[in-house]
Amino acid sequence: MKDNLEGRKLVDQMDVKFKARDVQVFYGESQAIKDVNVDILDKTVTAFIGPSGCGKTTFLRCLNRMNDTIPICRVEGDIRLDDEDIYAPEVDPVQLRARVGMVFQKPNPFPKSIYDNIAYGPRIHGLARNKSDLDDIVEDSLRRGALWDEVKDRLGEPGTGLSGGQQQRLCIARAVATAPEVLLMDEPCSALDPIATAQVEELIDELKQNFSVVIVTHSMQQAARVSQKTAFFHLGNLVEYGDTDHIFTNPVDPRTESYITGRIG
Amino acid sequence: MTDVADRPNGRRSLHDTDRHTRRRNAAERRFRLYGIAAIATGLIFLVVLLVSIVWNGIPAFTQTFVTLQVELPEEKLDKSGTRDIAVMKKVSTFGYAPLVDAAIAAALAEHGIDNPFDKAKKLRAIVSASAPAQIRNAVLANPELVGTTQEFRLLATSRVDGYLKGRVTRESIARDKNIDAEHLDIVDALRDAGVVQKTFNWSFIFGSDASESRPESAGIGVSMVGSFFMMLVVLALALPVGVAASIYLEEFSTQNRFTDLVEVNISNLAAVPSIVFGILGLAVFIQFAHLPQSAPIVGGLVLTLMTLPTIIISTRASLKSVPPSIREAALGIGASKMQTVMHHVLPLAMPGILTGTIIGLAQALGETAPLLLIGMVGFIASNPPETFVDGFMAPNSAMPAQIYEWAKRADPAYYERAWGGIIILLLFLLVMNIVAIVLRRRFERRW
Repeated sequence: MKDNLEGRKLVDQMDVKFKARDVQVFYGESQAIKDVNVDILDKTVTAFIGPSGCGKTTFLRCLNRMNDTIPICRVEGDIRLDDEDIYAPEVDPVQLRARVGMVFQKPNPFPKSIYDNIAYGPRIHGLARNKSDLDDIVEDSLRRGALWDEVKDRLGEPGTGLSGGQQQRLCIARAVATAPEVLLMDEPCSALDPIATAQVEELIDELKQNFSVVIVTHSMQQAARVSQKTAFFHLGNLVEYGDTDHIFTNPVDPRTESYITGRIG
Repeated sequence: MTDVADRPNGRRSLHDTDRHTRRRNAAERRFRLYGIAAIATGLIFLVVLLVSIVWNGIPAFTQTFVTLQVELPEEKLDKSGTRDIAVMKKVSTFGYAPLVDAAIAAALAEHGIDNPFDKAKKLRAIVSASAPAQIRNAVLANPELVGTTQEFRLLATSRVDGYLKGRVTRESIARDKNIDAEHLDIVDALRDAGVVQKTFNWSFIFGSDASESRPESAGIGVSMVGSFFMMLVVLALALPVGVAASIYLEEFSTQNRFTDLVEVNISNLAAVPSIVFGILGLAVFIQFAHLPQSAPIVGGLVLTLMTLPTIIISTRASLKSVPPSIREAALGIGASKMQTVMHHVLPLAMPGILTGTIIGLAQALGETAPLLLIGMVGFIASNPPETFVDGFMAPNSAMPAQIYEWAKRADPAYYERAWGGIIILLLFLLVMNIVAIVLRRRFERRW
């Protein structure tokens, strides 16, 4: 815990959170990601855009080694979190995932109470010394998830009883509760209606004050609204990466331009 | 039918069904009828089955008793007058039998019933052969009874019992050497006098098995205890082993040739006839490991082998039905594989696992064939186990084995008991299913 805090201070001065070099991902024989090089900045929202099947989710899942759960998946290249190789043999993916949280496409709260949903992560990582500590973490996380006011009177009710948008914010709060440094979001709004989407987007904007957020999205408007950096993936390649304003107004690569203007995708 | 040309756009009216659609609808209606017919047939069979079981089995739950005032004379039971148990034990049941004869004769005299027999011994055919032993046991337990007259509630013989239940008739005893029409006259008179009574038979449920000639005193209780200890063994072994194996195969193992082989074999084991497990148990547990014959521990081990595939298959199915998003959620927060399984997947799969386990146990409870080979059939379970360890290690029978044994015996009174045993077995299965449903509900409510 202490080490973690000290590590964090250093991070504050460092801009680059994730550094990926020559990343290749294979599913069995077929290559899903080719030569991706990218630097993901701290306290910034980075959006991954691109047509379906272009590898943006695959690359996102490399960042917290969720791809490890797929037996045929193989990752090559170098991915560094705070300049530490996350694929080094001595790295335990469980520790990595505590620092790199993830929010999934479909809201997936545990079929437990709202309180237990949030408290689960802190419990297994031993972040709370006692019950009141845990209560504080739960409240703080729910506030960060912009859900506290809606659920504070019914923390004992099952998380699965919430609406879709609330469930997704619960999942974000749950990811925040383990005090990660990076938050990966895999199309977090694709199952939500426009109002819930707006709430989540607002939330992402607030989260970037404390975390580095990486978001995969199909909606270019969303990428334009929430992100400062955008990466465009196409057929497993990282075609273009840069400031969001720049990518959307003045793309360098013709493929980026055709995608943004709706000609491929 | 409206003409096609009637419609302005040349298309057929929606209010007019064409031949193709009509045929499709007819096919659907027919299919529904087949389904209803199938369900109705099944229900009819079920009703027939239940009615015949209850009809045949209910008589086993009542039993005819003869209440007699038995004189216990000192000169016959304790000549020495010392009330010394060791000396009194020398008087065998043969010494007690005449007391029964005298007591019946006395009852006849008291109620003014004619005794058609010249030999007092012939009256004895009314009461069970176990009656003298019952009196002797009472006297040995309390020697002070000697010299008094005591009331005893003695079992009637299976013939008398059957006569009161309508199973034995005056026609059917024509060639029966055990009982005569005169006996039935006496029984009729004694019943009117209240000496012979039919009451609920608790000793059928809780009592022990008896020898072939005394069906009236046979009960299923001891073999129930045998079944209970077998189920303990099955539950204690099959549930943890089965669940652990399933979790490993489903959540941890990597797909390779070895695990494929294991999986195929588990599925095949579920289809192996149970008698094969019986002979395996005979060879491995009794002949090789020298565990005692006819013991519930061996039965339990054999049934464990038989139940394991059922539990593994159902556990894996319920693990598979837990949505992968739950696993991802837990892994995404930084839970280890083990924590993911133990905290999230297993609790969600628990209702299914419990159902599978109970189904497996119910199967094991009713299984007879493997017990044939390890000697649990044919063993007369006449004494309940004395200690907990004996419950596992001492020879015993099991409920289905006991039922099979009774059905095999010649006396029709045993046939009746076999049906009665089936009712008890079915009640147990019913209780197990209810327990499964209750547990399932409780687990589901928590989530």
